Amino acid sequence: MTTTCPTLLAALPDYDILPGPLWLIVTLHLLTLTLHFVAMNFMLGGIVIVLFGRIENRWQNPVVRRYLKLFPSLMAATVSIGVAPLLFAQLTYGGPVYAASIVSAWLWLLIPLVAMIGYYFLYGSAFAKEGNPRVKVWVSVALLCLLYVSLVYSSVFSMAERPEVQKAVYEGNPSGFALNPNVGDWIWRWLHMVTGAVTVGAFLVGVLGRNDEQVFKAAKRFMLGGLILASVTGVLYLLTLGDHLKPFMKSSGIWTMTVGIVLSLGMLHFFFKKKFWGAGAMIFVSLGAMVLTRHALRLVVLPEAQNPSTPYEGKVVPQWDVFGIFLACFLVALYLVYWMLKTYFTDHEGET
Amino acid sequence: MPYPFWDVMVGYGPLMAAIAVIHVFVSHFAIGGGLYLVVAERSARKAGDEGRLLFVKKLSKFFVLTTVVFGALTGVMIWFIIGLLNPKGTEALIHNFVWAWATEWTFFFVEILAAILYFYGWKRMSAKNHMRIGWIYFWAAWASLVVIVGIITFMLTPGKWLETGNFWDGFLNPTYASSVFFRTGVCILMAGLFALLVAARYEAGDLKTRLVRGNTLWALAGLLIAGACWFWYKASIPDATWLTAKHQLSIAASALERFQWATYLLFALLAVLGLLLARMWNTVFAILLMVVGLYWFGSYEWFRESARKPYVIPGYMYANGMRVGDEAAWRRDGLLSHVDFRTGDDGADLWRYSCRTCHQVDGYNPVKQAFDHTDPGFIAGSILGIHKMKRALDPFPGSEKIRKPMPPFMGSEEEAKILAEWLWERVDQRPMHEAAGLSGPELGAAVYELRCARCHAIDGPDGLRDPLEGESEEDLREFLSDPADGMPALSGDERDQQALLDFILGWYESEKGGE
Repeated sequence: MTTTCPTLLAALPDYDILPGPLWLIVTLHLLTLTLHFVAMNFMLGGIVIVLFGRIENRWQNPVVRRYLKLFPSLMAATVSIGVAPLLFAQLTYGGPVYAASIVSAWLWLLIPLVAMIGYYFLYGSAFAKEGNPRVKVWVSVALLCLLYVSLVYSSVFSMAERPEVQKAVYEGNPSGFALNPNVGDWIWRWLHMVTGAVTVGAFLVGVLGRNDEQVFKAAKRFMLGGLILASVTGVLYLLTLGDHLKPFMKSSGIWTMTVGIVLSLGMLHFFFKKKFWGAGAMIFVSLGAMVLTRHALRLVVLPEAQNPSTPYEGKVVPQWDVFGIFLACFLVALYLVYWMLKTYFTDHEGET
Repeated sequence: MPYPFWDVMVGYGPLMAAIAVIHVFVSHFAIGGGLYLVVAERSARKAGDEGRLLFVKKLSKFFVLTTVVFGALTGVMIWFIIGLLNPKGTEALIHNFVWAWATEWTFFFVEILAAILYFYGWKRMSAKNHMRIGWIYFWAAWASLVVIVGIITFMLTPGKWLETGNFWDGFLNPTYASSVFFRTGVCILMAGLFALLVAARYEAGDLKTRLVRGNTLWALAGLLIAGACWFWYKASIPDATWLTAKHQLSIAASALERFQWATYLLFALLAVLGLLLARMWNTVFAILLMVVGLYWFGSYEWFRESARKPYVIPGYMYANGMRVGDEAAWRRDGLLSHVDFRTGDDGADLWRYSCRTCHQVDGYNPVKQAFDHTDPGFIAGSILGIHKMKRALDPFPGSEKIRKPMPPFMGSEEEAKILAEWLWERVDQRPMHEAAGLSGPELGAAVYELRCARCHAIDGPDGLRDPLEGESEEDLREFLSDPADGMPALSGDERDQQALLDFILGWYESEKGGE
């Protein structure tokens, strides 16, 4: 049952409670974030390959056409799944993230607006008739929008790990127009995310274009190239950690990172042999491992006072009954999603 | 205060409203539209009405593009903006309602997928399965409303949560049930308005007339449900909150008035344009109805948002993110000692963290006019006693003064002086006699209006005439130089001071003259 808050002060309840064990909230955060990354990578990486892959008669190619029609749904999945990790992030490491977002307020607030513009351009491309010359421009604009979103995210979340930077930036500019001025903090991280997205996006392009040699070749090229670039930028990012690098190497993050790298290489092997189930599973797990690595790294970098577990000592007041309702709804939602997708893909009665 | 303060050039109120009002307009359509689509599809299929079925198809494309993209992303934008404008309030809500929000997210996810599959499924799926997905969409969307309303209404009427801190006491608060039904009516209305907009693009003819009349009746049904539930909602707002909003909060009171007359206007326009002039229905009519609908619902939301002032969670947290009950400690320690993010300009920081959430110096809900032609002493006194201000009772015939409930200043006396100096640098520093070019009783009346009338009437139950009767000028000056109960002391320009004293003493002179 939901319990009455034990930390009730003289007159008013304390809001600063944790309504469930921290491990549960962190798990939900990391799980939903992984799912969000999968959808986002399929979209962002897919757009890069559709635009820059060596594909003749690109906009007439059936695989590209199919991918174009898929983009809005991938965007919908990215947005709707992305709400959950943002919600749990408030409880996991809320203070620093919120503070950093205020320092970059205008740029942060523009994220949904810019994403919306990109979204409409993706819909425009999906609805466009074959041969419409504007599609290339529309998809390019959508790509720029997504790059903006990812760049601001990287800047804000990197600044969230540096409270002293937030304070210094705010002191000079409280109007919310600032990015993290330590470009080294986020540029490699951002490039790592983008090139990682290209790697993951190449997987879906390859799956959809498995029978089109030209497309599959492009997917292989981008997957390999993306992986190499993601590795290089990842290493460069680690080198920017400075004093934090050593503790990170001693944390659980080094193990999850190793798992992520090994699985990525395995994924490459399976993908090149067109064994998509194996490659897909490895991609998902390696993305999960990278999300865990990111979490471990944040725990190392954040000062003790802002470590997720610190503010909640003695303040965990589980709301198990409400959590039970959430869990039940979540399971029903999963079933409904399964049923709707199954029905959609199996019921062709309307076509006849 | 562990968060920085976003010093944006526009008022927080309009910024929030610009995003929130547009979002709720579309998000309520997203729910009511789901119901409209399946009901209309079912009835068109049953009647074998191909024309109407085609209309529903067209509407579903518009529906997906509006709700899944615009609705969803403006929803995310609200999420972003509340975190920027009131991180403490957002934090309080998330800590208490995270599982409710997570539950709402599961519905949201189902809703988005169902909307997409419903749209793409027209040509692909059987009618039965297509409508099943439509129903899943509607119920998921409505369920998300049922959940989110618990959190929204908590922000106006936290109910017993203030005593227990229990989730259910906060969620099932006094205005919860009435809000769910009121908003359900709004959803139905919005679906009708959007359907009327799509119908406007049809060629004139019987089909269009039928569509317009049908959509108008649908919208009117929604308006009637919302109207009926409004009285229930109103009755469920605690008296103190209602009376404060209606009589002491000018922004809430005017929003309420706008909402009420817009209800009649919307009803009349629907009846006349949608029913009587259905054959003439066109895009201008449809846009007019949309604008009035937006204005109507926007006024309601503005009322709801401003009715809880000066709190973000009534009785618990002030609009500036400071908690009720922290006053003593903060005044003792000084506000700035609790602020992690400083800019080096203490006056500006005090202004931001204390006042800026609701006020601009000279812009939205400005303070400038309250402090023009005064002095730092008066401003500091006003700041320190701001929460004690009482409503004035028509000190001058025809001028109604409505006090805005204010949170206490949470800083030390020294900080109040710093803030006062900072404000004084930004107002018109000329004394009243110089700025207004007045003298004699007119000057006294103007100074009284500026410095006293916000709290004190001349006559009536709270009037000053009786208590000050018989005081000599010296006694009056002495009393006003060191008044009790947080009132600002007599200060500032000597000529303005003298005019004020003469004005007050003049009340009795005229009586003597009359005798």
